[in-house]
Amino acid sequence: MNSVALLSAAKDGILTGSVYALMATGLTLVFGVMDIINIAQGILVILGAYLSYALQLHWHIDLFVGLLITTPTMFIVGVVIERAFIGRLKGPEKTAMSILVTYAVSLLIEGGLNMIFSVNDVQLQASYVSKSFAIGQVHFGFIYVAGFILAAVLLGALYVMLYRTRFGMSVRASLADQASAALVGIDVRRVSTITFGIGVAVTAAGGMIYGATNSFNASSSYDLISRLLTIIVLGGMGSLGGAMVAGIAMVFIGDVVGVVWSPVWSTMAYFVVLILVLLWRPQGLFGRASARVA
Amino acid sequence: MKHGNRRYLRVLSATSLAGASLVTMVGASGASARSHASSPVKIGISLSLSGDFSADGQAFQQGYKLWAADINRAGGLLGHKVVLDIKSDASSPTQVVTNYQALISNDHVALTFGPFSSLLSLPAAKAVSRYGYALVEGAGGAPSVFQAGLHNVFDVSLPVADDLMPFAKWVTSLPAAKRPKTVAFVTSNDPFTEPQVTTIEPLLRKAHIKTVYNHVFPAEVTDYTSIADAVAASKPQAVVLGSVDVPTVSAFMQAFEQSGFSPKVFIATGGPDQGSTFIKSVGLKNANGMMVPNAWYGGSANPLSRVMVAQYVKKYGGTASQVSSDVAEAYSVGEVVAQAVKATGGFNNQKIIKYLHSGVTLQSVQGPVRFNGLGENTVPTAFTFQWQGAKFVQVNPVNDRNSVRVLYPKPAWGK
Amino acid sequence: MRARNLWWLVALAAFGVFPLVVTNPTYTTIAVFSVIFMACASSWNMFSGYSGYIALGSAAFYGSGAYTMALLSIHLHMAPGAAMFWLVPLGGLVATVLAVPIGWIALRVRRHTFVVITIAIFFVFQLSAINFGFTGGTSGLNLPFITWGYQYYNVPFYYVGLGLVIFATALSALVRRSRFGMQLLAIRDDEDRALGLGVRTHAVKVTGFALSAFTVGAAGALYAMFVGQIYPQFVYDPMFDISIALMTFLGGLGTLTGPLLGGLVLEAGQQYLTIQFSNGSLYLILFGALFLLVIMFMPQGVVVYIRDRVTRRAERERAAVSANDAAAGDAPPPAGDPPAPAGVAHDVAVGGVA
Repeated sequence: MNSVALLSAAKDGILTGSVYALMATGLTLVFGVMDIINIAQGILVILGAYLSYALQLHWHIDLFVGLLITTPTMFIVGVVIERAFIGRLKGPEKTAMSILVTYAVSLLIEGGLNMIFSVNDVQLQASYVSKSFAIGQVHFGFIYVAGFILAAVLLGALYVMLYRTRFGMSVRASLADQASAALVGIDVRRVSTITFGIGVAVTAAGGMIYGATNSFNASSSYDLISRLLTIIVLGGMGSLGGAMVAGIAMVFIGDVVGVVWSPVWSTMAYFVVLILVLLWRPQGLFGRASARVA
Repeated sequence: MKHGNRRYLRVLSATSLAGASLVTMVGASGASARSHASSPVKIGISLSLSGDFSADGQAFQQGYKLWAADINRAGGLLGHKVVLDIKSDASSPTQVVTNYQALISNDHVALTFGPFSSLLSLPAAKAVSRYGYALVEGAGGAPSVFQAGLHNVFDVSLPVADDLMPFAKWVTSLPAAKRPKTVAFVTSNDPFTEPQVTTIEPLLRKAHIKTVYNHVFPAEVTDYTSIADAVAASKPQAVVLGSVDVPTVSAFMQAFEQSGFSPKVFIATGGPDQGSTFIKSVGLKNANGMMVPNAWYGGSANPLSRVMVAQYVKKYGGTASQVSSDVAEAYSVGEVVAQAVKATGGFNNQKIIKYLHSGVTLQSVQGPVRFNGLGENTVPTAFTFQWQGAKFVQVNPVNDRNSVRVLYPKPAWGK
Repeated sequence: MRARNLWWLVALAAFGVFPLVVTNPTYTTIAVFSVIFMACASSWNMFSGYSGYIALGSAAFYGSGAYTMALLSIHLHMAPGAAMFWLVPLGGLVATVLAVPIGWIALRVRRHTFVVITIAIFFVFQLSAINFGFTGGTSGLNLPFITWGYQYYNVPFYYVGLGLVIFATALSALVRRSRFGMQLLAIRDDEDRALGLGVRTHAVKVTGFALSAFTVGAAGALYAMFVGQIYPQFVYDPMFDISIALMTFLGGLGTLTGPLLGGLVLEAGQQYLTIQFSNGSLYLILFGALFLLVIMFMPQGVVVYIRDRVTRRAERERAAVSANDAAAGDAPPPAGDPPAPAGVAHDVAVGGVA
């Protein structure tokens, strides 16, 4: 067994996994607060990537600088989607309906992106995208390290916002119980809109890193969303920390199995772990026990 | 510029007309005298204009349209103007089945051309065969298509298994001192790539090129980086990547560069042949030295191909190196059918099927085409191509007069 | 309720004679795909609509049915032809058997998590089909080629598919009237309460889940035989579940006619529109926009929407009459009542109480 390969795989799992974790955070936050499953998260990541692409192509704006523009833009996109469609959903079938509504939204965005950017794959380019540094024999790509730092900073910021601010308190109250939150005077409607906006805003950074490390077109979103969904189930739906652990676990398990055994089994190994974990803890690693039936 | 182009074209077509290979054009222009009073002829095609195969589907559409424009400029098919009836199948086999039936029984098309990908070709061919129509296609060389035992399916392109042979011949013929000592085989789990890679592994081994990595990875893997890192850690001097698309190749290239690993030889079975899409994803500098096996490239010396490429560049812009091989595959379908129509003197599908099975050799932009009983093309030449600077050139077979020297060893990334 | 039975008979007769009247193979092909999806949507609704547990992994059963058909017809060296239809119920049986352990695992969690777990299980099936040797891997499987002429080819498939539709609908109707069906509905309304009342919820859910897998598996087998070639990504297709869920929601979740109507309109409409629109991107946008409109304006589905409209008008007329009789007092429910909660189909809610 080649130890360099094993160390590299572990490094890849953690770095790439953190970006998945960031994208999944938006999904799990929205689910936890609103009981909404946002199937459009995948295509929104791609939209975020295309925004960075367009800024770079037309105005030569650096990928990281561009985030200052794309993140607020994606936030607004999220707020608009929430106000226009999601906020109107009510009743016991809200969660299931949200899957359909966000799926329809993702079709609209996919069609639009195909029209504007064509279906040919593109990738974000920058001088630093393919550069790296080495520690021992293990090489670290700058873009992956940057993705890791970005994910850590944004997740940290989310954490601070949730646990150290008044707004965060309202979010957490809504997470726990919407009806009671409304009773103590929290504007649940406003909290929901902003939460959805934040959940979508993280796709700007996630999309940029994804677009710089993968070539993509609009239909790449289908692979993305299925992975993001499994991450939030493994982590426990509604749990931020769970999304982080599960995002990294997903890529880490696949990568290490790929080196130790064979890449053929990398994806399968993750799904088997997922099912085993769910047998043991149906609510996921960090999910609330109330998610479980008896 | 435009004038120069025209003249270049005229000279080209004059020379190529002299060549015996121009069956189509001669036939078409001979027929053009009768074209005045005849009605248009409809050709039905289902293409994936959205969904998974959309990138290739759109390139195929360009190829088919280019062929139709060219044949109409030359007077049409037997004097009939060609009209393409293209329906989108959204990359779904269900829709493909419906589409071909609608094309035949509602739109009353006279002929059918194939969709993109073997995955859709087979359901399409089965549906079409019930109507006694021929399905001539350009992208469906997977063994499963021919094993189905259908009598009406013909693939004008190269059957996939032997694609890498010229490359293997070249590598093993290098003097022992220069020859790579080690090789990594890494291939996606796919009916197009695995046969190619398994064919050449023993040949390389016989030439004392040691296999240091040999793994298959699933088609929808989450993270290519770790697989690429594992390949890099085994430090092979040659890498054979079984890929079907640009994203896979691009992910491996990026990961290799980041781990400071640059093999002396890097060949990928699909991706580098996608012209501008490939360049846009990986950057021109990184493409330098990348190799790919195929039957055709934009710089092909085939006179038919040169005319087509010139037309393509005129219509869509770019350079010859940036024309996707999908375009040529689609274009060849049109050419082969046109020759069959001309030879049988009409649009009778039974006669066309019989003619295509008769062992006759036809010409296309991809070179000669001759079908065996299964509908495979038995006479195509496999080539290896390489990006050298901004150009995509032919490097194998070494003894072919149009091949240039292989850029070996491959320059370091970005050089 | 005579009138309702009459409508069912009329619909059945219309479907029965369809391929005799419309002989164009394009439309009979669309009809075959439509009955396949109607059967799946109806069967899916029997579990997900009644219990409230939205499953998005039914493609696992569809695919397993398809592989059952393909593997058996190939390895038994079956002569291509009508005998292969016997494998259709077998495909359903295999799906049912697989559904028991899957349901046992997946149904231990609440409904929101269940949705995603079913997706994960589905991916395990798809990946297995891609990676194991006996499935033919990514090359897929090529079934014995049936050489019936194009004029008649679709017709037998249509009738077998129609048989599946009738089976699924009859099963749905039976379940709804049974004690077992009441228990499913009770779980949907309030699972903890149902548990408290002594309903063995887990067993009931797993049984419903397995029952509903049967028709989906059989439909998958029929699809494989019809198309003649299967690939893992096409029979284990995540879009399959989105489609049948959309069909059911569009028609009316939990209703008997809703999934049938949704399946018919959506599959036939989608196929027909795709033929008409050669621009894939524009098609996606139109399709998405149409969905949004229907979901936003008829959140309970078309069937419930129309029924509510009809009842409300009747009530309004009655209200107008009684308003004349008695000036005020015991006024009937006003027409401007807050609408029923989204997605709660009226007849099920009533059935749950009855």
